Amino acid sequence: MADAAPPSKSRDLDKLLLRPGNLVGPTFDPGVQLRDDLQEYARVLVVGAGGLGCELLKDLALSGFKNLEVIDMDRIEVTNLNRQFLFRLEDVGKPKAEVAAKRVMERISGVNIVPHFCRIEDKDIRFYNDFNIIALGLDSIEARSYINAVACSFLEYDSDDNPQEETMKPMVDGGTEGFKGHARVIVPGVTPCFECTIWLFPPQVKFPLCTLAETPRNAAHCIEYAHLIKWDEVHSGKAFDPDNPDHMKWVYDEAVKRAELFGIPGVTYSLTQGVVKNIIPAIASTNAIISAACTLETLKIASGCSKTLSNYLTYNGVEGLHTKVTEFVKDENCLVCGPGVLIELDTTVTLEKFIDLLGEHPKLLMTKASITYRGKNLYMQAPPVLEEMTRSNLEVPLYDLMDKIPKDVLHATGTIDKDGKRSSGLRKLRVVFKGIDGVTDMDMAGGA
Amino acid sequence: MIRLFKVKETQKELAGNSDGGTPTKKQSAGELRLHKDIAELNLPDCCTISFPNGKDDLMEFEVTISPEDGFYVGGAFKFSFQVSPVYPHDAPKVKCIPKVYHPNIDYEGNVCLNILREDWKPVLNINTIIYGLYHLFTEPNYEDPLNHEAAEVLKNDPKAFKNNVKMAMSGNYVKGLGYTKFY
Amino acid sequence: MAEPKTKYDRQLRIWGEQGQAALEKASICLLNCGPTGSETLKNLVLGGVGSITIVDGSKVEFGDLGNNFMVDDSSLGQSKAKCVCSFLQELNDAVKAKFIEEHPEALIDTNPSFFSQFTLVVATQLVEEAMVKLDRICRQENVMLIFARSYGLTGLVRISMKEHTVIESKPDHFLDDLRLNNPWPELRGFSQAIDLNVQDPVAHKHIPYVVILVKMVDEWKISHGGTLPSTREEKREFKELLKSRMAAMDEENYKEAIDASFKVFTPQGISSDLQQIINDNCAEIGTGSSDFWVMVAALKEFIANEGGGEVPLEGSIPDMTSSTEHYVNLQKIYQTKSEADYHVIEERVRNILKKIGRDPHSIPKATIKSFCKNARKLKVCRYRSIEEEYNNPSLTELQKYLTDEDYSVSVVFYILLRAVDRYAANFNHFPGQFDGGLDEDISRLKTTAVCLLNDMGCTGLTLTEDLINEMCRFGAAELHAVAAVIGGIASQEVIKLITKQFVPMCGTFIFNAIDHKSQLLTL
Repeated sequence: MADAAPPSKSRDLDKLLLRPGNLVGPTFDPGVQLRDDLQEYARVLVVGAGGLGCELLKDLALSGFKNLEVIDMDRIEVTNLNRQFLFRLEDVGKPKAEVAAKRVMERISGVNIVPHFCRIEDKDIRFYNDFNIIALGLDSIEARSYINAVACSFLEYDSDDNPQEETMKPMVDGGTEGFKGHARVIVPGVTPCFECTIWLFPPQVKFPLCTLAETPRNAAHCIEYAHLIKWDEVHSGKAFDPDNPDHMKWVYDEAVKRAELFGIPGVTYSLTQGVVKNIIPAIASTNAIISAACTLETLKIASGCSKTLSNYLTYNGVEGLHTKVTEFVKDENCLVCGPGVLIELDTTVTLEKFIDLLGEHPKLLMTKASITYRGKNLYMQAPPVLEEMTRSNLEVPLYDLMDKIPKDVLHATGTIDKDGKRSSGLRKLRVVFKGIDGVTDMDMAGGA
Repeated sequence: MIRLFKVKETQKELAGNSDGGTPTKKQSAGELRLHKDIAELNLPDCCTISFPNGKDDLMEFEVTISPEDGFYVGGAFKFSFQVSPVYPHDAPKVKCIPKVYHPNIDYEGNVCLNILREDWKPVLNINTIIYGLYHLFTEPNYEDPLNHEAAEVLKNDPKAFKNNVKMAMSGNYVKGLGYTKFY
Repeated sequence: MAEPKTKYDRQLRIWGEQGQAALEKASICLLNCGPTGSETLKNLVLGGVGSITIVDGSKVEFGDLGNNFMVDDSSLGQSKAKCVCSFLQELNDAVKAKFIEEHPEALIDTNPSFFSQFTLVVATQLVEEAMVKLDRICRQENVMLIFARSYGLTGLVRISMKEHTVIESKPDHFLDDLRLNNPWPELRGFSQAIDLNVQDPVAHKHIPYVVILVKMVDEWKISHGGTLPSTREEKREFKELLKSRMAAMDEENYKEAIDASFKVFTPQGISSDLQQIINDNCAEIGTGSSDFWVMVAALKEFIANEGGGEVPLEGSIPDMTSSTEHYVNLQKIYQTKSEADYHVIEERVRNILKKIGRDPHSIPKATIKSFCKNARKLKVCRYRSIEEEYNNPSLTELQKYLTDEDYSVSVVFYILLRAVDRYAANFNHFPGQFDGGLDEDISRLKTTAVCLLNDMGCTGLTLTEDLINEMCRFGAAELHAVAAVIGGIASQEVIKLITKQFVPMCGTFIFNAIDHKSQLLTL
């Protein structure tokens, strides 16, 4: 590898990777080998090539990582240029992932970045299993939730419900809004996953429709009236497209008319865009800070060269500078990252028998269970229309309904008896069929 | 961790491309929670639910409400539900499909029900929403109008309102707008 | 070229056209363009700062390629300042980018007046001696100064200037200025004209909570000898009273009134922070007073006279359940009062200016207006000189930090960051800078740190071995990711200082990349 030239390109990083340290991770094994292995074996996926993604690619490439890939479905817009430093005015309209990968490779020799210009859902989930660490530079809850579910689906537990280290897919996640941001480390099975703490993201505030229709009081009310009510009224059937400037202009004009009607000040084109597209203000500095923090954690997870963030950092630069580290705890019953309940079965057990067994299982005591498996509803207790459609499955062996996969995860909803108290619940079940040959731990996806 | 990566890399080379059984479809946390909501539905007789995309796609469904008393007896009002993958973080999107003369439902099918927007909370569920919708038909209210004209009539002259609803539901025009015919 | 407005849309939503104009006028000088300096400037160039001048006398070495994105293989052996400058220019052609191939230390020693041409100097990777000298120069020339340093898994950011005053501090959460327990005649009159017992349920549920509270406070006062609810019990009773007036359980306006009732209970008058500002010596106006302090003096007079103990009314009201008509009228009442208060302040400002022999119209209306709107949120930040802090740190603070678990790592890094400079002054290299002899470096650093602590007046304290060892392991490495954090923070502070919006940090920020428990230390 890079041992030919005496002056090392990783002059500064070498101090961290080649020397023993006192405040380091348990697996830290300093030396040239560690540095070289990091370059050769560590594969990192960057999800998102926007404000955070551009920074992440640069930071990772300058932190010892040589095998990177990046996925993003968006094209470059003019409004990206105040912070997404890998893009130039002449790049507007080109795919972000492709331009970002190209720019970083042009400047840092020896780094390989594979771009993927597509939606995250377009990739087979095996694609994600090829990476050792996933770095998230996203601005939506949906996308985070999706990647989290994928990463957690690789996690396997042993028969004692202990997470198996070799199946963990660590994630680092960043997010910013103006002068504020967060960086976190998610190690499925060890730290809380995104779903365990989804309450950290409060639902977006929505105005009541009748306020918009009857008692508008501010500019945003007028804009949302034009956007949510008036548009449909006038353009029956034609969908509103926020990226169409004509559509936006129409909404703006309507909002102005309405504001004038009610004597409400403050409707501007900029505000209209902000309200309709839910634009989150973004600046270069916060993105840089949060991405760099995520990169440091990626390096630490991979190499053990220092302690890791445990597990959530919040950053606020509005008044002075406040940072805070919070150690959130896992939801043991999390459907996405939790162990669920292990159930061993014969291949002959029918779905009906299986549902009966759930009522007797000491860890479950679940009656009237409905069962879903990889998006297929095997049996539904309600409503009658679904019960009827799924009833015929009851006589079929579960093994057949699970496509003869010897070991997998399914979910059950039913009434749970706990200490004499009954409540409804949804549980993750790890089903293993007995006596099947060739069951190994090899790359068997869990399916959360 | 790096040693782990190395081991995995070697394993992968040995294993070649023999991992055929990996699923390609991901069930989102939202789908699972919705599965629970649907499996636990407890609807009154006057409400029915249907799944146009079959039993394995619950994310889009329709609920039909046939009020047993009040102004709207004799009608069957179908609502479309669209559920997001991050349900219950986001409320489902609900629209009324038939054209109905109603103070809280506009001509485009938008519904003014607080729990669908400003008061949505993840602890609520599909059952709560359906009951909320049902309630709109037994007790339409003029205080939170989307159809201003209908609200005014209901407030000032309930008899005339009753008559207008009847007209609308028989497929007649009311104040120049056509409505869906139920009888 | 696309219109710049679109390019800057996402930041204009934060600091507005005025903030952007200030940035575009600013000229920034960077000392040393390693990754810390380069990353600081990158963020500022993207944001559209007016001009940059990079001062660095070094040539690009092989090791620089591994930590700085602004240089590439073709830069080897060339002037680092030139290479970084040309890459930064690529990011934004609206920025005037210049470079000077010279060592900052030499410039500080030989040409101190060089710095007077800049709005702000960002000094990166300077050692203590140079920091002290530069600080003296910049204070003399009234140039804002920010120090930024990355060192292994730690680093610091420190602002240095005599005083920075902020009108638009834009705090995240701030209580609305509604005067519910002290309504002026127009607000009271408006409220009195609205009948809380109106029969129409639609009207009843659309009375704004401001009106409900103003009226209910009056009602309460009548039955309580003219006093406001003060005890816990009384506050509970007041809320019960509000609840009893609801016509239906789902009346949002009454729920809002109950939630906002604490605004009735908050004491009248100004906050202690503002009290401190109006009592500041600077509020005694002389010919050299800045616009800010002239306005503070006017504010002080207003509070003592027309304001009756209150600042000028802010004039904006939050959204609340209401009919459009009530809301729009209420808005007008607040705006009118705010406008009237502004005129009084303006008059007083003009008089003060006249008194001190300045053009009475030298402070623009818009500035006075903004000052009035933000009167409750004014901020004054003052910074000790580096020399003062280093020679005479606050011992009580230092002791406190050393014994507080949350601060213990950061304060040790603070001490060690100074110790390594002393070490370098003695041994001509940083501890652990070169491979080999690490053990010796560790014990020398330890001795140096203990001496430093003694000099600071802190005796009998031990520093944890772990951190001393780590500091030697770092060997003055400038890691890219650490530099990106430090540079990111430095650029954020530059923006706050130049736009005069938000509140810049006070004290020294110590970055702790080990577990991210970083701290701001005021010593």
